[in-house]
Parts: sequence; structure tokens; C-alpha cells
Amino acid sequence: MISEYLESLVHALNFDRSLSRRVREEVEVHLREAVAADPRCAGPEAERRAIANFGDPQLIAAQFAVVSLAKRTRGVGNAVILVIAGVFITMKARVAWYAVMQCAIGDDIRAVSGIVGSIDRYAFWLSVISGIGGWAYICGRGIPAKFHAEYRTQLGRFRWFCTAATGALIVSVISDGLLTALRLPAAKLSAESLLPIFSIAIEIACAGVLVFQIRSIMQRATSTAALLKT
Amino acid sequence: MEGERLKGHLDLIVLAALSAGPAHGYAVIEEIRRKSGQAFDLPEGTIYPALHRLEQAGLLVSHWVTAETGRRRRVYALTRRGERALTDRRKVWQQFSAAIGGLLAGTRPRGRPA
Repeated sequence: MISEYLESLVHALNFDRSLSRRVREEVEVHLREAVAADPRCAGPEAERRAIANFGDPQLIAAQFAVVSLAKRTRGVGNAVILVIAGVFITMKARVAWYAVMQCAIGDDIRAVSGIVGSIDRYAFWLSVISGIGGWAYICGRGIPAKFHAEYRTQLGRFRWFCTAATGALIVSVISDGLLTALRLPAAKLSAESLLPIFSIAIEIACAGVLVFQIRSIMQRATSTAALLKT
Repeated sequence: MEGERLKGHLDLIVLAALSAGPAHGYAVIEEIRRKSGQAFDLPEGTIYPALHRLEQAGLLVSHWVTAETGRRRRVYALTRRGERALTDRRKVWQQFSAAIGGLLAGTRPRGRPA
């Protein structure tokens, strides 16, 4: 009986494997202790009473899901800051590499690269401001006990901050790619140009990580809401 | 006392139960029952999400320990932040309780209107 109960709890928590493993172990210990401590009965009747006292697995899973969603959301807030910092370091490393290699911009493309550079700069700083704003917003909020309307609003605002940060970062990465393409014409491709190309690949991967993270919290919020409806 | 009425105070209840020292989930529930004179009867399962939430908020820490019986248990303990939170919430509760007590003092249930 206890095993069936635990399976239904684990099944409801399958969106977070580490959480479901931990919860299963904790709840199993609890139920076994409750059965052992029951002075009135033993065996299946004690198990039935322990399970009844513990509560509906769907309701309990829904409460865990809210805690897990809050944890995941804070993790995404931290990831946004780390990814933006990673992109910044990569950009600075590339610029330093250009200086070492004395890879200057040709006069014919100076005007174009100036415009693209400005777009890159403004987009990046917009990304920094949005990212820090989102991180401060979500980390400044408490962890809710319920998936109530106020928390849904907070999640929605946080998603907008993250979307703005990611969108601006994507524009910045595209601008970086264009600038790199302007500096390294195909004819001059050599071992020296590998580092700038590699740095652009890192930036693209960073932007991809953010898109994936935002998508994951949206999915998690949807699954939490679904769990609460059941 | 009804579970729904207690849920709004669950964090304070759990923090207070752990103020005596580290304990695992089952012991926390037993402590709540004992200290409340069996008045608080929450669905036991609601304590665990609260413990996870308080741990996530940095008010508790937890780790697995193996009991003499060989059974592994997750033991929770208050952090310094948790102790401070308990002190603050206790103060707020005492003020609230004193205010309600003041309001109710000297009053008596009204009879049925004519």
C-alpha cells in the first residue's frame, strides 16, 4: 500500500527527478515510522491510517511543485547573470585578441562597423540592465506556499525581464557576428581567425542556454498549474 | 484545529518546532502535536513542502543521517537566519495576539437579535 502511494507521489513529481527521489525517500521513512508507532493497529490497517494522515499525493505534489518552480526560477535568474557575464568576458577576450594580432578595421567598412558596434553596445547594455532587473526582482521575492495569482504575476514579470535580456543579447551576439565577419574576410581565414570564430560560437551557445532556460520555466509553470487543477 | 486555518501560520509553527533542536520530518510533526497539546492536526504531508520551502529560503539546513536502526532520515535544523526569522515572527505574533486579546477583553457573545 505504501509503495503504491509513493509511486503515485513520484509520478506526480516526475518533472523534477532529484526532488522526486528525495521526496520518495523522506516520505517512505515517515510512513514506515508512522506505521511502527501506531499503537492502535498494525499491518495494512496501520499503513492505511498512515497514508490517510499523510494526505492526498496530488495535493502534496502540487505544494512541492510550487517550491520546485520557485527554486528553478531563481536558478534561471542566476543563469541570466552568469550567461551575460560569460558573453561580456568572451567579447573582451576577442577585442584583446584583435589588439594582439593588430587586426584593424579597414577604412572601407569603418562606417558600417561603427553603426553595428553601436547597436551591439546598446543591445548588450539593455541585456545587462534587463538581466540584473529580472534577477533582483525574483530574488527579492519570497518563496510562495501556493501558486496564487500574485505569484503568477511575479512569474510573468520575471519572464518579461528574461525575454528582454535574452532578446537584447541575441541582437548583441548577431552584431558581434557581423563585426567579426567584417574584420575577418573569407580570404584571410587562418589560424589567427579561429579564436574570434570560436568566441562567437560561445556567445551563440550562451544565448541558446538562456532561450532554453526561459522555455524550461514556462513549461514548469504550466505543469505546476496543471498539477493544481487535477 | 482546522488545517486550512493553520496553513497561514505553518512557517512559524515549523520554525518553532525546530527551535528545540534538529529533527526529521516525523519528529517535527510529533513536536508540533506535543507542544500544541494535540490541538494542531495538519495533514502530515503538508509539513514536508514547508520544510523544503524554508530550506530553499535559507531558514533551514538539512542532511541525511543514519539512525541506530540503520534507517536513513533527513534531519532539518534552523540556520542563524531561521533563528532570526523565528524571533521576528514571534514578536509579530505576540503583538497581534495582544491586540486581539485587547479587543476581545470584556466583550461577550451577543444574543440573538429580536
